[in-house]
Amino acid sequence: MSTVLSDGVIHVSDDCKACDHCTFICPTGAISGVLGQKHHINPQKCINCGQCLINCPFNAIYDLSKVEELKKVLADSQKFVVVQEAPAVRVALGEEFGQAPGTNVKNKMYAALRKLGFDRVYDTEFTADLTIMEEGTELIHRVYGALGVAGFENVGPLPQFTSCCPAWIKYAEDNYPLVLPHISSAKSPQQMWGAVAKTYLAEKLNVNPANIFSVSVMPCTAKKYECERSEFIASGYQDVDLVITTRELAQMIKDAEIDFMGLADEEADRFVGLSTGAATIFGATGGVMEAALRTAYEILSGESLGKVEFDAVRGLDPVREATVEVPVKALGTSLPVSVCIVTGTKHVAEVIEDVLAGRSNYHFIEVMNCPGGCINGGGQPIRRDTY
Amino acid sequence: MSNVNGKVLKHGTQTRTMHWIHLLAFIILGLTGIGFYWDIGGIASIFGGEANASLVHRWAGVVFVVGPLLYVLLNFDRFSRFMDSISHFSKDDFAWLKVMGGYLPFIKVDEVPPQDKYNAGQKILGWLIIIGCLLIILTGFPMWLWRHSVPAVFLAFCYNVHFWTAIILILLVAGHFFLAAIHPKSRVEFSSMMLDGYIDAQISAHHNAKWFAELKESP
Amino acid sequence: MKLFHESEGITRRQFFKGAGMLTVAAVISGVFAKFGFDVFAASDDYIAKRVAGLYTLDESMAIRKSHENPEIIQIYKDFLSPGKVECVSPKAHHLLHTKYGNDIPGFIAELKNPHLVHEAEPAANEETSTEEPAA
Repeated sequence: MSTVLSDGVIHVSDDCKACDHCTFICPTGAISGVLGQKHHINPQKCINCGQCLINCPFNAIYDLSKVEELKKVLADSQKFVVVQEAPAVRVALGEEFGQAPGTNVKNKMYAALRKLGFDRVYDTEFTADLTIMEEGTELIHRVYGALGVAGFENVGPLPQFTSCCPAWIKYAEDNYPLVLPHISSAKSPQQMWGAVAKTYLAEKLNVNPANIFSVSVMPCTAKKYECERSEFIASGYQDVDLVITTRELAQMIKDAEIDFMGLADEEADRFVGLSTGAATIFGATGGVMEAALRTAYEILSGESLGKVEFDAVRGLDPVREATVEVPVKALGTSLPVSVCIVTGTKHVAEVIEDVLAGRSNYHFIEVMNCPGGCINGGGQPIRRDTY
Repeated sequence: MSNVNGKVLKHGTQTRTMHWIHLLAFIILGLTGIGFYWDIGGIASIFGGEANASLVHRWAGVVFVVGPLLYVLLNFDRFSRFMDSISHFSKDDFAWLKVMGGYLPFIKVDEVPPQDKYNAGQKILGWLIIIGCLLIILTGFPMWLWRHSVPAVFLAFCYNVHFWTAIILILLVAGHFFLAAIHPKSRVEFSSMMLDGYIDAQISAHHNAKWFAELKESP
Repeated sequence: MKLFHESEGITRRQFFKGAGMLTVAAVISGVFAKFGFDVFAASDDYIAKRVAGLYTLDESMAIRKSHENPEIIQIYKDFLSPGKVECVSPKAHHLLHTKYGNDIPGFIAELKNPHLVHEAEPAANEETSTEEPAA
């Protein structure tokens, strides 16, 4: 089981043509090799993001697949197999079935998963909302702490970094241990869902959590690593048992000869499967920030937002910043909340340096490893668009 | 004209030098390229391992470009005459192609049609080499200099074009070598390009009759 | 012995052929560069399209704010903070929050043996995670 933790998720196959493209893609310098010499990934430095994989001109980089194991589990009637899917999966899965990028196939995805034999089909978006509640509350506490409000003395420093991206977490742990207190203690939505599935959901469905097999469909290869990290056992079991990528789900649907686009639309199951628009945009860069702002604004101000879109945090630039004026009812003042969004781990170092040197006046910093956010994750359909 | 004595200067010093440089660069490029594309470790180790073989490949590529480029710029007249010759296809050239220059054993031919300085086959070879070199150069440099910044799909395109062009060029050059150095009908040409540049006037008058008629006698 | 050679210099036609070939080579290079540039410009388009797909989906949702999700309200009221919606309640903290880096071994010990005092125990267990950095 420790293979992923010690050997990494991403590997270079013998098809490597030594073109050296990936060494520039890699944000951590984990790939060794020069032009002409087969490349190799150092699992200690690799953050498992899979950007090299989706950008390899020869498809010579692969991620460890658990599909065969999953097929065995699905065939095992003793196991109660539940599944969650990340927001980014639903706008990319269709590409494997001839749809344009960005086509929403959420409801067909639920139907296909039921056809594949999953006992219950839920949605990671539920815990994305839960993440906003927990992480947003933590942020409010940290802001109160920084403002000197009584009762919030030991809440951790500002700015607060997001914690949804497992590649970013490993990057920070490997390279900037000093920034770790700044990272929200909230688990990623995938791990929250895993913890909730084997406790709350088991209770609601009256199923023995020992029999629950928790599967996660992710746009991400680092999630495969995250689910096997040894601290994610809050439910008493390994919270998420197995992760497959968007590509692997598409492969399973094709292997099962399901006519994906011909499926009737279905909905996710109840208790931990309802999603909101805020959770949906988690898959895009700036989305976690925007979702957090929607909730934080309404909770802090006690007012309802007229326009829920925060256009200032949208975009595809690698580093973006914005300031949002938030009226704080409890304090009777208005607080300019300064936020920063980083997409692409290559660009995060300068932001971290500023934070550690005390030059940063942000309150909240969102970091997503993949350029554009999870929708461009290492587990997503590989595109070779020309024009 | 069947009894002409003397010698014809077919390829000048600059031309022969360029041909040698291009040939040597091509051989090194071919060996290194095959070595690391197919992981033939033995070939790569001749050049000091995969990484060094790649380095040799790239700098041999520079020679492969700069050699002919300098030749074209410094000897624009020779290049122009060459381009003129290989771009002019007459009835005789088509007739030559019809009998395949008399090279094939199953096509009986008494006398091949009179040819220019380059026969129709050499003209076609000239064009293929020019186009092939252009393709291989244009795809080669992005793979080296912009490998980090171009998208994967473009890099893959370059590798594929580079690879297939290389295969075709190697086959063409092998055929060229066979006809110009081994085949009994035409191996006399070998010395005119690879050694002193001269060829017997009689052979020229026979193989390149149209060209020979235009030649001037040295005083 | 007679020696023969080509006449020096070039005719008008030869000049145009030579110059023409150089021009053609330049044009082919230009077309290739244009092709490369177009591919470069278009190769990332899918990212913006997928992002737009998410924003469009957001706009079509009936509920667009996390704290208005009825299942979120239900999980707090039924399970995480019984009877009310209280974020970072003890149960929520146990299930939904984690620790990083060097804090992980102690955190795991705490999870395995909830009776241990918070963070008091150093990592004296065999579960030291392998991904942990040498801080």
